[in-house]
Amino acid sequence: MNISGILVVAKPDWLATVVDSLGALPGVEVHQVDETDGRIIAIQEAEDIHAEIDGVKRIKALPHVVMADMVYHYLADDEKEYEQIPPELVEQEQACAVPAYLSE
Amino acid sequence: MGLTRRDFLKTSIAASAAATVGMPLAKEAEAAVKAAEAGWQWDKGACRFCGTGCGIMIATKDGKIVATKGDPDAPVNRGLNCVKGYFNGKIMYGKDRLTTPLLRMTDGKFDKKGKFVPVSWDKAMEVMTEKFLEAYREKGPTGVGIFGSGQWTVPEGYVGAKLWKAGFRSNTIDPNARHCMASAVAGFMQTFGIDEPAGNYDDIEYTDTAVLWGANMAEMHPILWSRITNRRLTHDKMKVVNLSTYGNMSSDIADIEIVFRPSGDLAIQNYIAREIVKRNAVNWDFVNKNAVFATGPYDIGYGFRPKNADKFASGKEMEVVSNEQVHVIDKWEAIAQRRKEGEQVKQANTATAGKDWAISFEDFKAALEPYDADFTTAVAKGDPDESDEAFKAKLKQLADLYCEPKRKVVSYWTMGFNQHQRGTWVNEQCYMNHLLLGKQSMPGSGAFSLTGQPSACGTAREVGTFSHRLPADMVVNVKKHRDHSEELWHLPTNTLNPTVGSHFVKMMRDLEDGAMKWAIVQVNNPWQNTANLNHWIKGAREMDNFIVCCDGYPTVSAKVADLVLPAAMIFEKWGFYGNAERRTQCWRQQVAPVGEARGDLWILLELAKRVKIKDTWGEQKVPGLKEAGFEDGKLPSVLDEAKKMGYDPEMSLYDALFATPENKKTYKWPDKVAKGHDNHIAKNLGWFVEKAMFEEYRKFGTGHGHDLAPFDVYYDDKVRGLRWPVVLKDGKWTETRWRFNEEYDPYVKKGQGIYFYGNDGKALVMGDLDKPGDGSQKVKLDGKAKIYFRPYASPVEQPDKDFDLWLCTGRVLEHWHSGSMTRRVPELYRAFPDAVCWIHPKDAESRGLKRNDLVWVESRRGKVKVRIETGGRNRVPRGLVYVPWFDESVLINKVTLDSTCPISKETDYKKCSVKVYKA
Repeated sequence: MNISGILVVAKPDWLATVVDSLGALPGVEVHQVDETDGRIIAIQEAEDIHAEIDGVKRIKALPHVVMADMVYHYLADDEKEYEQIPPELVEQEQACAVPAYLSE
Repeated sequence: MGLTRRDFLKTSIAASAAATVGMPLAKEAEAAVKAAEAGWQWDKGACRFCGTGCGIMIATKDGKIVATKGDPDAPVNRGLNCVKGYFNGKIMYGKDRLTTPLLRMTDGKFDKKGKFVPVSWDKAMEVMTEKFLEAYREKGPTGVGIFGSGQWTVPEGYVGAKLWKAGFRSNTIDPNARHCMASAVAGFMQTFGIDEPAGNYDDIEYTDTAVLWGANMAEMHPILWSRITNRRLTHDKMKVVNLSTYGNMSSDIADIEIVFRPSGDLAIQNYIAREIVKRNAVNWDFVNKNAVFATGPYDIGYGFRPKNADKFASGKEMEVVSNEQVHVIDKWEAIAQRRKEGEQVKQANTATAGKDWAISFEDFKAALEPYDADFTTAVAKGDPDESDEAFKAKLKQLADLYCEPKRKVVSYWTMGFNQHQRGTWVNEQCYMNHLLLGKQSMPGSGAFSLTGQPSACGTAREVGTFSHRLPADMVVNVKKHRDHSEELWHLPTNTLNPTVGSHFVKMMRDLEDGAMKWAIVQVNNPWQNTANLNHWIKGAREMDNFIVCCDGYPTVSAKVADLVLPAAMIFEKWGFYGNAERRTQCWRQQVAPVGEARGDLWILLELAKRVKIKDTWGEQKVPGLKEAGFEDGKLPSVLDEAKKMGYDPEMSLYDALFATPENKKTYKWPDKVAKGHDNHIAKNLGWFVEKAMFEEYRKFGTGHGHDLAPFDVYYDDKVRGLRWPVVLKDGKWTETRWRFNEEYDPYVKKGQGIYFYGNDGKALVMGDLDKPGDGSQKVKLDGKAKIYFRPYASPVEQPDKDFDLWLCTGRVLEHWHSGSMTRRVPELYRAFPDAVCWIHPKDAESRGLKRNDLVWVESRRGKVKVRIETGGRNRVPRGLVYVPWFDESVLINKVTLDSTCPISKETDYKKCSVKVYKA
């Protein structure tokens, strides 16, 4: 599970519309809004990094959004995640040998 | 109602994020943060990855990193981080982290053909030293090399440089920064006589124009890009131009995208200069006062092996490499260099590529004459599907932007310029245009070289960890500089070796041809990052040599090494980095190293403990040494003088150069600057080595325009790095924003306005476009920069009927360099798992290929298997493919060409020719 804090900047005249559209996105909650300059802090919950990055992209694509960037990433203490690295990097025994692809 | 754990977490993350970007907090949010972060200790740090130098905040609890966030007080990134930046805390915890030394052994003994076996640090050091001394006795100082890094911390690089140059009397030390910004350095040194940019990132908020030349900032420097985007959206006059050999993410907000043919940038720069002259846009007050016109030889070769290349290169390779001796002028060069097509030009200046002389403005103007819009379009248009008219119109718009008198312009570049067979030239051309216009060293105007590594500037360049450099812009082949260094290092006269050592690519060649027999690798991955890899893999595995690789992970370089040492990573040690805008920043050790891992600094010092003065300070042979005051081919014994200075021949280099009684007494551990943080190296050695080395290093730059503040100043809670020169002003350590500018730079006197002091005391011989004069007429350079004429030169290998596509390599947003860290962060790996080959849909179709097909990308040198991508973030023109190099299962550097800029010795990774076919 990835939780990220996202800074969204909306065109100030359209702030309310952007807040509404954010709220309508699954997994997204609006937490803070600064009406003077159109800045919004949204929290996004996503299943994995694909969803997380796609999530930021879909926010960027909303009408009247000037920018959207991750500001805070929570390091979920999820041991299973560490399994998901390139397969050729996890085989400890082979990792120390000269891998086959070097002589390809 | 109480909040659930997850709700609570979200509230606190939202509040932290808000605080990070300076938004006021609601009361309940503030309370939530306090509760969620109970027991967390936050400390400042610098990002591990690119040269931007973002500040990050790191939270630790119970000896583990629990969170990271953008540092709201960091002026570089103002609380933002890119996707990589967020995972700084995770890069240390990959599953295959190296935790113990590994030595190739058979039956309990070292064996080059043996299998890796875990050994103790003592055993590792014993074998490493034995092999070192064997190689040193046989080959002398040039036989032992160190592949250093722009990711070395400042104290690590300083200890590496001092150990090699003063201890081993060897200049065979070169950082991977050679691959990254050596051309920028050569451009700075030749033009301004002093390294690193005049301006800084604040230029972004002052400028009207950002022109990107071979810098895909949107992916490679995303935080600076967010500042440019912001400027573009908030400043009406702001224009963005993206020049590249393919369309990329930086084009998304660009007003003009110019796709040029590889090396076409050389012609475009001259086109702009020609327009500046034609339109009378030259700022003559500026030019007369601050610049001289200059040029140099064109017949400088391509940076291949100077002699006997055919002993190592295959017949196919020699088709390209033979240009090093004789080059046949093509139709474009004939016009650009005032020659005849088909003329055979002997490359007479391969060893003297950097020589230069002054020329008149009339000569300069005459040299620019061929670079009109027609010629420039013919040679530089990169997209065959674009019309000449459309390209010409864009060229004109670009020239309009540069020439508009009141318009502020910043030109940015990275690897597109630096990794270039004429990299030094194209850097200098950029200064040419800024100097002609007088748009340099002023807020919002200037040519700005971005860097790729976190301390390419701070360590590689400022400390001088190159084969030709000493700290603070000094070089080994100037007697005055050696004398000064010997004095500061307390060395006998003529300890330092006056012969430039092997640069990065040459070290690989030295291993292949047996000239070098021992090498150590720190914080980099040479067997993934060096072009034409098949040769170097053979050199490592099949030659009689000993290679030590220090790393956190089993990289390709670790796999080809003989001894692998587990290195402590970023927040497991103390350190300083210096970013692209001259900002020096620091961090403390946050967590203990994993397993038995130790800092690179400690590894070097342990080697120094085992080598004695008498091993290296006696007479040494140095092939090719020729210098006044030295016998040819030899470094003298300095043991007698050393004895007089109080050194005992039995003393270790560690005691002589580093752990001096004074250092141990002055720099005790613990120190109050630690604020409770540990230091595994200081604790082990018994003194605060990082602080001692930083303070010693500072002496080189103080008073010479490279001033740094004292160690403790950087660790002040309120300080977020300082841009050098940092001088004491009214009792306060004060940084410099724009160099050479009277208003900002303490080295420019009142009334001097703009003053380029780097060239003070130097002079150039007057000559014409073809040659220097007889020396009777000289031009003084005091306060001046050089405006070079540099011609267009064609790439040494170009697509032909056998290898019909250009290959360009580079990075992607999600991964950094060879991926040894970022590929081990699950989130980043999943975001961009494997390298792909971007190819134009029509080029794919004509080869019977479709998206995701597995193909071979093959050159004269090697081939790799990779999947093709016809869409996505990069839009390559027909005739060009792009493959990123982060993926060790797609070793694209087996395919690339090891041609370097002959002046900077930096490899061109951006152009060679390949064919692509179904695997």
